[in-house]
Amino acid sequence: MASLQRIAEAVENGKNKEAVDLINEALRDGVDPQTILKDGMMAAMEVIGQRFRDNEIFVPEMLVAARAMKKGVAVLQPYLASKSSVQRGKVIIGTVEGDLHDIGKNLVAMMLEGVGFEVIDLGVDVPPGKFVEELKRNPDTKIIAISALLTTTIAQVRLTIEALKEAGLRDQVTIMVGGAPVTQSFADSVGADAYTPDAGSAAEWAKNRFSVLS
Amino acid sequence: MNMYNWVDGLIYGGRKKAFPLVTYPSVQLLYVTVRELVANSSYQALGMRLIADRYDMPAAVSYMDLSVEAEAFGANAVYGVDDVPTITGSIVETEEQANSLRVPEVGDGRTGITVEGIRKAVKLISDRPVIANCIGPFSLAGRLMNVNNVMVYCYEEPEMLHTVLKKGTEFAVKYCKALKEAGANGVILAEPLAGLLSPELMSEFSSDYVRQFVDAVQDKNFVVIYHNCGSAVEKLSEQILDTGCIAFHFGDSINMQNMLKLIPRNYLVMGNISPSRLFNNGTPTQIRLETTRLLEACGGYRNFVISSGCDVPPLTDFENIDIFFKTVESYYYRQSLYDIID
Repeated sequence: MASLQRIAEAVENGKNKEAVDLINEALRDGVDPQTILKDGMMAAMEVIGQRFRDNEIFVPEMLVAARAMKKGVAVLQPYLASKSSVQRGKVIIGTVEGDLHDIGKNLVAMMLEGVGFEVIDLGVDVPPGKFVEELKRNPDTKIIAISALLTTTIAQVRLTIEALKEAGLRDQVTIMVGGAPVTQSFADSVGADAYTPDAGSAAEWAKNRFSVLS
Repeated sequence: MNMYNWVDGLIYGGRKKAFPLVTYPSVQLLYVTVRELVANSSYQALGMRLIADRYDMPAAVSYMDLSVEAEAFGANAVYGVDDVPTITGSIVETEEQANSLRVPEVGDGRTGITVEGIRKAVKLISDRPVIANCIGPFSLAGRLMNVNNVMVYCYEEPEMLHTVLKKGTEFAVKYCKALKEAGANGVILAEPLAGLLSPELMSEFSSDYVRQFVDAVQDKNFVVIYHNCGSAVEKLSEQILDTGCIAFHFGDSINMQNMLKLIPRNYLVMGNISPSRLFNNGTPTQIRLETTRLLEACGGYRNFVISSGCDVPPLTDFENIDIFFKTVESYYYRQSLYDIID
């Protein structure tokens, strides 16, 4: 019988085929899918996040673990009663207009999924209006996560937040910002709710801010 | 020029000079856009000369453009008006594509322009060495295979990754030999993507290939300066030293004092005032303060030369760059006076 411990280890070690096999085995053995998700997989991603913050593992290890998590979630999806029951809420994430960098943004997205958020990834080069439109389409969104890597595009972070204010939507979401040129003082100056220096911290902050709905 | 002596001179010589990677701001002096600059060898040479006229630095450095080599392989380069070009997409996703990936010739893409830019720069600049730029093997693989995917390939497709790394290294050697022949006295080998790797992965997928590159191109007339502004670099000192480089340049995500403790004192170590947070977005006061702090923390290491953490952005205010140089000059002037009276 596949134990949750073995599932967690497979996810932590980025063994996506093994993780999928073990999850299927656990499902056949009657293990509750939500238990598999929370105690097997999300627990593994929390360990991954902590180990990354402690510099025990690095970006490739995080990425392969996040991929294993994603493949595992895909197996569990049909068995889960409803999405909201295992979700902390929705996150809309994107790299600002004029900026094509995505590695950090992708890591944050994966880590947020790993801790139970539903992530809507707008990709790169996202105009402020697109963040606004997506928020209007998903009014239950908890977090908007904005990434900028270039000194020439960091101004777009402010413009994106301004666009949300102009649309009257700023107060209904929590805004997180990040990226190489972004600092705490910059985040404060643009009125963001949180700045985190890396993907692990981002997931930790978001997880602490929004507890699991059920 | 004996570049080993040049490195020794920076370590053991007299009063030190600041050596930031300031070249892109030359667009403001040339009244051109970055897009125009990266496509024109005369602009590049003239820009380097105008910066050399303005600042007394140990060498003139060319432009850190990490898209040139990938573009020569056939990757898609996106040009912003005032942004350094970037690569999008990937051209290698399967073993078949890796095996059939053609190693370009020097002259493909914009490599001919950059080589010509060096040839022209050497005609204009004769009072200091001229240092070219080249991307490192793992960072190049990231641009050919997508920077997210290449991290995963370290675990899931190592053989495919090695195929691309071999071809990337082969081209980098050809390209740098052409830069050397054009008159460059050295090259900054930029390997930032490798700075995200674990020590084990860095050894296998970066350092070994950088070593091959260094063995092929470095000699007393041509020095390789290893640049890595990645965040994990403090854990990678052994792997960095394994590259065979004798000069290193680090970014602002690391603690320079910690790094200096890890690198032997006969190797040149440079860095790491933040190009974005300070040079581009900071005030003169902030720059003066943080530059002084860095010098006070690291100035006691003879092998430390203060620099920017990476290339200074194109539209950085020259007032900020000027204050950086003045602060460094003032610090070392004061130190020389302390040396007399203490």
